[in-house]
Amino acid sequence: MKSNADDPKLVSARHKDVFEDILEERRTSSDLRFAARARDVPRFRLNKERPPHKIKEDVLKSDRVQYAIEQVCQDTGLPKAEVINQAKTIVDEMAHNLRTGAIRVFAFFLMKVLKQLYQRIYVNEEGIEKVRMLIQDYPILLMPTHRSYMDFLLMSYVFYHYDLPLPVIAAAMDFMGMKFFGWLLRNSGAFYIRRSFGEDTLYWAVFTEYVQTQICNGDSPIEFYVEGTRSRTSKSYAPKFGMLSAALEPYFKAHIPDIMVIPVSISYDRILEESLYAYELLGVPKPKESTSGLIKARKVLEEDFGNVHIFFGEPISIRQFSEGRVDRSKHSLAPRYIVSLTQEEQEMIRVFGHHVVLVHQHNMVISVWSMVAAILVQSQQGVTVRQMLREVEWMKRLASNLGAYIDWPVNESAETMLRASLALHHNIISINNDDVIQLQVAPPIVRGNAVQQHVAVMQTAAQHVMLSMYRNQIIHVFIRPAMIALSINSCRGEELSLDDLYQKYVFLENLLCRDFVFVPDNTRKDFEHTLSTLAHIGALVLEAGAIAVKKSINKTISFLSHMLEPFLIGYWVMCQFLLSSRLQVSAKPLARTQKTLVKEMQALSARLLQEGVIHHYEVLSMDMANNCLHALYHMGGVSKEKRDGVLYMYPNVAQLSTITEQIGKYIDVPPLPAVSIDLHTKTITVNAKL
Amino acid sequence: METRFCLIQNHPLFLKEGKSLLKWNGWGYKDSKFSINKDQHVEFTGERYRLSGSTMPLLREWMKKTVGISLEHKSPSQSCTQDLNLVLENHDDVVKAVELAVKYNVVIIPFGGGTTVTSSLECPAFEKRMIVSLDTSQMNHILWVDEKNLTVRAECGIIGQDLERRLEERGYCTGHEPDSMEFSSLGGWVATRASGMKKNIYGNIEDLLVHVRFVTPRGVMEKSCQVPRMSSGPDIHHIILGSEGTMGVVTEVTLKIRPLPPCKKYGSIVFPSFENGVSCLREVAAQRCAPASIRLMDNEQFQFGAALKPESKSMLTNFMDGLKKFYITKLKGFDPNKLAVATLLFEGTKEEVAALEKRVYEIAAKFGGLPGGADNGERGYMLTFVIAYLRDLGFEYYIVAESFETSVPWDRCLDLCQNVKERLRRECKERRIQFPPYITCRVTQTYDAGACVYFYFGFNYRGISDPVHVYEEIESCARDEILANGGSISHHHGVGKIRKQWLKKTVGELGVGTMKALKAYIDPQNIFANNNLMMGNHSKL
Repeated sequence: MKSNADDPKLVSARHKDVFEDILEERRTSSDLRFAARARDVPRFRLNKERPPHKIKEDVLKSDRVQYAIEQVCQDTGLPKAEVINQAKTIVDEMAHNLRTGAIRVFAFFLMKVLKQLYQRIYVNEEGIEKVRMLIQDYPILLMPTHRSYMDFLLMSYVFYHYDLPLPVIAAAMDFMGMKFFGWLLRNSGAFYIRRSFGEDTLYWAVFTEYVQTQICNGDSPIEFYVEGTRSRTSKSYAPKFGMLSAALEPYFKAHIPDIMVIPVSISYDRILEESLYAYELLGVPKPKESTSGLIKARKVLEEDFGNVHIFFGEPISIRQFSEGRVDRSKHSLAPRYIVSLTQEEQEMIRVFGHHVVLVHQHNMVISVWSMVAAILVQSQQGVTVRQMLREVEWMKRLASNLGAYIDWPVNESAETMLRASLALHHNIISINNDDVIQLQVAPPIVRGNAVQQHVAVMQTAAQHVMLSMYRNQIIHVFIRPAMIALSINSCRGEELSLDDLYQKYVFLENLLCRDFVFVPDNTRKDFEHTLSTLAHIGALVLEAGAIAVKKSINKTISFLSHMLEPFLIGYWVMCQFLLSSRLQVSAKPLARTQKTLVKEMQALSARLLQEGVIHHYEVLSMDMANNCLHALYHMGGVSKEKRDGVLYMYPNVAQLSTITEQIGKYIDVPPLPAVSIDLHTKTITVNAKL
Repeated sequence: METRFCLIQNHPLFLKEGKSLLKWNGWGYKDSKFSINKDQHVEFTGERYRLSGSTMPLLREWMKKTVGISLEHKSPSQSCTQDLNLVLENHDDVVKAVELAVKYNVVIIPFGGGTTVTSSLECPAFEKRMIVSLDTSQMNHILWVDEKNLTVRAECGIIGQDLERRLEERGYCTGHEPDSMEFSSLGGWVATRASGMKKNIYGNIEDLLVHVRFVTPRGVMEKSCQVPRMSSGPDIHHIILGSEGTMGVVTEVTLKIRPLPPCKKYGSIVFPSFENGVSCLREVAAQRCAPASIRLMDNEQFQFGAALKPESKSMLTNFMDGLKKFYITKLKGFDPNKLAVATLLFEGTKEEVAALEKRVYEIAAKFGGLPGGADNGERGYMLTFVIAYLRDLGFEYYIVAESFETSVPWDRCLDLCQNVKERLRRECKERRIQFPPYITCRVTQTYDAGACVYFYFGFNYRGISDPVHVYEEIESCARDEILANGGSISHHHGVGKIRKQWLKKTVGELGVGTMKALKAYIDPQNIFANNNLMMGNHSKL
C-alpha cells in the first residue's frame, strides 16, 4: 500500500485542500541529508541566547526559587545547603537538554518510523507560516490535542521539517525511566514533570520558574497538553489548569507583553494505541513504558496507520483574550514572585482552557471511518455496504451542516472512501459474504467457567470499546444537538415549550459534564445556538415558540438521540447500583472508595450484558463509570468523605433517586431482574423494584 | 466659543516682552527652530542653545532611516485657536479677581507658563459660563531672599530661568530644573507637583516648598509660619501641590535656596546594553551616591543623540571621535545597536565632585560601563531642551510625536520599558501605520524604591487620516500597559484632562471621593472649572 506516487488507492493526494503531505519528499530523498541539513530557524526578537544548563542556573538563582528555599528552611528547619541541594535535584530531574546533535539523531530515527507507520502526514502550511511569523515577535505556547504518544513526536518532527525551533515539551515522568529513549527525548527537548506535587512548595517553585523563564526569554516554543494526559477515549478531556496557569502567569504579572497560544489539532485515521486503550478502559492495567516494551512494539511498525492530519489553529493572543477580563495592575502591590493569581485571572484561565479544547474540536479532521463507527455503534447487528454508503453520505451532510471538517476530497466517491477506511480497520470490522459490515467479535463462550466467561466478555467488550473510540472522534460535533434531540425524542406530549426543553438540556449538561466538554457558564448560549442551528437545517419544527414534538421526530433527531443512549444507560446502571448498595447495612448507605465502586459497577454491568438486559458493552468502560461518579457528586447524588486519608463515596439516596428517575425519562430503561453477583465473596443484590 | 469673552480685551500687558519672543503654534522661542537649509541638511537657527547656528549632517539620514521622513513630503500647516486673558499684577489682584468671579459666577482657569502636556489649560467645551484665563505672567517678582534661612519668596508667575538667573546674581539657586524651566512658572510647578532634573541634590518641588499662598473661592489658604516641618494633621501643602488649578490659584511661594555650587561637571558612561545600565543605576540609588543628575538613554536615544552631533570643522575632533568609536565597538566589543549611555551631572565642591565621580565610575565598571566623556554627557542634556523643537520640525513632515513619563519600582523597571515599547509597536502595526514608529525611553530619575522613566513616541502618519486621534489612542494603550506593569499614572506631568481616566484606578474610589469633597468645600460654586484631575466624568474615554 505504501507507494511514493499519488496512488489513487491512497484515497488522497499530496496536496489536499489546505493540507500538504510532508512525508512524500522524504520517501524519495536521502534521510541522512535531511537529518544533517543546515537549519536556519527564526528566533524570538527579545531572546537572549542561553544553553540549557544556563536555564537551570537561572532557575536556581531566581527570586521565586530563592524565596521558596527560605520558606522551606523556615518550615522544616532543614539547613539551607540541604534545601538548595533538593532544589538542584528537582531541576536536574526536570530539565531538558535540547541539543542540535541529538535533534538530528532524533529526526533521523523518527522519520524512518513515521514513514513506516503512516501513508501521509498532512499539515496545514498556512498555520505553519503564521507560527513562523509569530515566533519572532511573541513567546509561543503550543497546545496540541493528546490522543497518542505520537503527538509530541509528530509535533517535533513537523517543527524540524519546517525549519522552526524545536519546541520544549512538558512530559510526564513515565518516559524518564526508559533508558535510550528517555535520554534521547530529554536531549530533544522533553522536560519531565511529576504527575502530582500538590503542596510541595519547592517543587512548585522550581517547576513554575523553569517554565516561566523559558517563556519570558522565548528560548523555545513551549508545548504542553491542556487536557493533561492522553485521551484514551478519543474524546476531549476537560482542560487542566496547573501548567496553563504557570504558563500564563508571566503575562498577568507583566513580565512579557503578550503570549501567543497555538491550538493544534492532531487527527489520526488510526490510533497507534487503540487496543491498549481499550483494555485500559476496561481495567486491564497498562504496561509500564519501557524500552524493551517499545522494541516489542516493532510488530506495530508492520501495520498501516493511514494518514495523520495536523492542523495549526488560529493563534490566540493572551492579551486580546484577557482584555476586559483581568486587571494586571493588581499585581503592583507585592513582589511578583510571591503574590498568587487573582480570582479573575483564575476564572479567565478556566474559560481559556475550555476555549482551547473547543477550538481543538472545531479543527479536528473527521474521517469517514469515524462516521462508520458512529453508525455501527447504533446498529450492532451490522449494516450492509450499500446501506452504509447511504448512511455515511447522509451523516456527512449532517456533520458538515454542524460545522465539522470531513476528510473527503471532492473527487473521491463514497465507495472508495468507505472501502479504504474499512480496509484500514480490518482488525475491528469485517465484511461477511452477504456484504454486511460487522464488528469482529469472538463467539461467546457458553460452557466455560466464570473466569473464561469473563475473559471472553472483556475481549468482546474491547472490540466494542475500540469502535466507540472512533465514534468519539466525531461525537463532539453532535453532542449539543444530541442533547436537544434526546429531550425532544423522549417527550411524551404534543409540544415542548422552550423553557422545558432548556431545563431538560441543563440536566443533561450537568449529567454529561465529565464525559463532554462544556464551557462554564455558557449553557444558555450553547443551547440557543444549537437550537437555531437545528431549526435552520430543518431538524426540528418550532411552532408558536414551542417544539412541535410529532413533527420534529425525524431521522436526524432519532439518530442524534440514540448517540447518547450508551452513556445514559451506563449512568443509569451506576445509579441503580449505588441505590441498591444501601440495603447492605440497615438502610445506612455503605461508603466505598471510588475504585471499588467502579469495579463493582463494572461487574454488575458485565452480568447484565451477559443476560441480555443491556446491550452496550461501552458501559463496561471505567472511564465512563468514573465520569458518572464525578457528575453525580457535583449533582449531589453521592457524597465524599475522608477517613484515615482515604476518600470514600456514598450515595445520597433521596437526591440520587430523583436523578435516576430523571434519567429514566430520557431513555427506555430495561426492566431489572433481581440479580445477585458474586464479587470478592461479597454479594450485591440489585432490587428490581427500585 | 460664542459664550466666552474677555474682561479686558487687547490688554497691553499681554504683549509685553517675554511672551512675544515665543511661538504661538509650537514650542519655545521664535528665533530657535530646526529647519532644512539649502544643502538639504538640518540646521538649528538662533543663538540661544549650544546647538544654535550649527548644521547636523547626520540628522537627515537618521530621520529618514528611523521614521521614514522624506523631505519631499511636507504636510500642510495647521491652525490653532487662541484664548483670552485676564492679566494680574499681584496677590491682592488675584484675591479680588476671585471674589468677583464668585460674585458673578465666572469660571477661572489659572495660567502660568503654559507648558502643560496634559491639556490641563484647555477650556471645557461644555462650560456655559464665561471663562477667564487668569494670566500670572506679570506676577514675576522675587519678593525677598532670606540668607539666614536660605529661602526665597517669589510670585507665582516668575519663569524658571528668570528665577534662577536672578538668584544666581546673588550667588544662590533653587536647583529646581525641570526640562521646561525656560518657560514654566513657579506657580505651575507647585500646582502640578513638578520634578527637576537635579532633584538628587535639591529635591522635587514638594521637598523645596516651605510656604505657599493659595487663593481659593473660600479665601486664602496658607500656613501661619515658615518652618522646616511640623505635625499639624494632614499637610495642607499637599492639598495645594498637584491641585492642577481645580481649587484655586497659587500666588506666592517660598522655596529653599542653596549657594551656587563651585564646581559643575558633566560626564557619561557607555554600557554594553540597557539592562546593564539599569542595574548600574539601581546600584547607584541603593548606595545613595547619585550625582545631581543621572539619566540612562536607551540605544534608540543614543543613536538620536549621535545624529544630533553638529558638523565638526576640526580634523582633530573627527579623528578623536573615530578613535573613541573604535575603542568602544572594536576593542571592548560593544554592539553599536545595543549599547546604552548614561549622562551625568555632578555638582558640589571640586573635591566632592571628584570623589563622587570616582565612586560612580567604579560602580559603573561593575556593570560593564566605560566612561564616555563629558561632551557626550552635555549633549545628552541639551537634547532634552531641543527635542521639543525637533518635534515641531517633524510636524512639518508628517510626524506626530509626544513624550510621556511614569514612575516604577526598580524590579519592574526593565520589564516596563520593554513591554511599553512592544505594546506601542504592536498598536502601530494593528493600526496599519506604514512606517516604523520611533520609540525610545530613558530612565531620568532614580529613587530609593524606583525610577522615573520617560518615553518619546512618534510616527510618520502619511496615509493615516486622523493622526492626532490615532496618536491619542495609542498613547492611551501605552498608559494601560504602564499601569499593568506596575507603573504610575504620572511622575511629574500630572493628570490634567488626558489622564483622568486612570485616576480612579490609581487612587481608588475613596481617593477620588476625598478629592471631590475637598473641592466641594473649597470651591462649592465650581469657579475653578478647568475640568482637570478629579473633576467630572472619569469613565474611560
